[in-house]
Amino acid sequence: MKKLLTLLAFTAPLSAQAQEAGELVSFVSCPVYRDTDQGRKSGCWLTTDAASGQQWDVSHSPYKPNWDYAIFVEGRVSEEGEDACGAPVLEPVRTSRLLDIDCTRHMIPAEGYPGRFFIAPERYITPLARRPEAPEGPFEERTFYAFFEFDRDFLVYQYSDFIVQQAAYWIEAAQPRRLVVTGYAATDPITVSGVELAESPEIAQARAENVALTLSRLLPGMEIVTRWETGSQPMDLSDADTIPGQSQRRVEIKVEF
Amino acid sequence: MQAQNRTKARTMRERTLGGNLALGAAAGAVLLASAYASASEEGDGLDRWWAPGEGRTFPELLDYDNEHGTLRTLLVGGPLETDGHPFFEPIGPNGRACVTCHQPADGMSLSTASVRAQWDATGGADPLFAAYDGSNCPTLPQGERASHSLLLDRGLIRIERPWPPAQWNGAGVEPDFAIEVVRDPNGCNSGAEYGPEAGVISVYRRPRPIGNMKYLLAVGFDLDPKQGVALPRDPETGVYLSGNLMADNRVSTLRDQMFDAGSTHLGMLDRMSDEDRHRIEAFELSIFVAQQRGGGGEVDDGGATGGPATLRDSEPGELGALGFPVWGEFAAWEEIDEEDRARLTPEEVAFRESVARGARIFRERTFLVSDAAGLTTQMGFGNPFRVACKMCHNMTRMGNDVAPGQVDLGTTTLPFADHFDDLPLFRITCLNDPHPYYGRQILTYDPGFALTTGRCADVGKITLQSMRGLAARAPYFSNGSAQDLHAVVDYYDRRYNIGYSEQEKQDLVNLMSVL
Repeated sequence: MKKLLTLLAFTAPLSAQAQEAGELVSFVSCPVYRDTDQGRKSGCWLTTDAASGQQWDVSHSPYKPNWDYAIFVEGRVSEEGEDACGAPVLEPVRTSRLLDIDCTRHMIPAEGYPGRFFIAPERYITPLARRPEAPEGPFEERTFYAFFEFDRDFLVYQYSDFIVQQAAYWIEAAQPRRLVVTGYAATDPITVSGVELAESPEIAQARAENVALTLSRLLPGMEIVTRWETGSQPMDLSDADTIPGQSQRRVEIKVEF
Repeated sequence: MQAQNRTKARTMRERTLGGNLALGAAAGAVLLASAYASASEEGDGLDRWWAPGEGRTFPELLDYDNEHGTLRTLLVGGPLETDGHPFFEPIGPNGRACVTCHQPADGMSLSTASVRAQWDATGGADPLFAAYDGSNCPTLPQGERASHSLLLDRGLIRIERPWPPAQWNGAGVEPDFAIEVVRDPNGCNSGAEYGPEAGVISVYRRPRPIGNMKYLLAVGFDLDPKQGVALPRDPETGVYLSGNLMADNRVSTLRDQMFDAGSTHLGMLDRMSDEDRHRIEAFELSIFVAQQRGGGGEVDDGGATGGPATLRDSEPGELGALGFPVWGEFAAWEEIDEEDRARLTPEEVAFRESVARGARIFRERTFLVSDAAGLTTQMGFGNPFRVACKMCHNMTRMGNDVAPGQVDLGTTTLPFADHFDDLPLFRITCLNDPHPYYGRQILTYDPGFALTTGRCADVGKITLQSMRGLAARAPYFSNGSAQDLHAVVDYYDRRYNIGYSEQEKQDLVNLMSVL
């Protein structure tokens, strides 16, 4: 049953405490698109945590909102200024779309804010024509991790696709015996902004199979075993960018020799 | 014959240069109708249409005039004697050859101008108008113009797709949507032989150009950002598949495209021989097509690098954002030097400046895209997000998508598509999750990519195609809904509420006219 999140806004306190840089915040809210224009992909995404009344700039998320639906925000308070989009910045940040919670489309004008000129992210997949030199050995057992939006198995462009591509380059050079690909799902329920969130158990398998399919295409002939587990717990993994929930929504690619 | 063709081509160019270039007021739209007409009067009308089995020589350089200037086709390794060549011979029983729907004068596609001329010249007896797919439906009386109206008016060929969908290798696909026929004006989606219940769905599409194929086969990256998975590989060769050949991506190799076309459009009962296939493939990979001359004169003059020679000599698959900018070929026309200004007419100078502005607009004039499945759904860009034309038309020198280009622009699906009473209308009902933007039920003239994948989320997605040779092959979009280049710009302007000025529209039209 779909929920209408706008009701939550009426429960918000009128004032918000300033939050420390680096502090982790998470909430569910409707996104607002601020139509700034500094060229392609320069628009701003804003959203307000109803519990604190604080509006945040969540534009840095690798998977951005859909203005029709609520987002599950997980981010850390950044010291970056408000001048780009007009709100304090969460960075790193994730904004998972919750398609069973409708939002009213809301767009506001730039109001003098410039937005951000798009700069290709560091996790930008490598064109085939510019493929880097193969890494040199010695090679030993290693595990790579790819990460996903809440309850999805899609390899997000310029984030998880990059991670898998780089893993494939290393694996191709290493020539291991086999890969064990394990998908995880954060199935233990949590309550955020009054909304109970739990990933579906099936998404663990879907993640494993999607990554395995990708690796089978990138590395023809490689033996790949797929596994999946529910009840995923947070891990300290660099590409999860210090977002605990992000680390739970992962696939492990274990390289065995 | 080669010398004859070359002489004719040169004559046509000279006439163009010496003729009256009628320029539009603000941005200089070129009308070469008088030159086009006089060429036809001199017999070029016959020369323009390549009939199967004529045995002509395909020259190394072949020019044809069109309303925007001159299209040039280069054949690497040419000339080619077409006598006995399977691209030019009627290797099936219906009298058609590949060249029937991939005409050199039409940018290796098929313009409605050519279709109509051929109807008039043959009284509808040309194999082009074969009942199977050159008419609105084989059940209609074939001698009547009305039975071929979709081909004559919008350049549409009937395409039969199996229902439920099947993969290229025949394996079944279990669709997550049901399809019913709301309206069947031509009779090819109902009755005992046609329609979903008979296992056959008829849609109507424009022939895609056969030329510049190295770009359409090129793969820029090994992962597909729209599908969130690595690109598939050709099981025979192991190479990555670009996904940019067919409107619905039903096949991804020239090999499979030829088998598909041979068994349908050519009516072949037997599988095309490997020898024929290899010869056709070699020819298709050797053809480079682009407009060579437009309202500003030669497109590789004054520092510009337009035209097919640049296409022939460049590496394919480059993302414009990472390398040579899309339509950077015309950057030199942004600042025309005094020497060029002195030798060009004011109209030619104005046109070149307009083209250069058009290229900038194409790359830099942003607008808000929303609800475009394939773009705004999974990739992470968000819905909406701000883009320019080059966001999707991103391959250097070609303007197709470096990634597999299955995107829903709304051209075939309500409420965004124009209304057509002569096309079948289907109601799609999503059985699981609703479509992210259209909801549970969708009305469409052509489900597009969904007829290949069986996924409701893919309804309306049509593969982006090359932007080269546009001047020679109107109408545009997969269903021929844009009769001219202005209509293409108008559609985008309306669909995404862009608000282009008339000058911006004209600049984009002029740009597209010289590609």
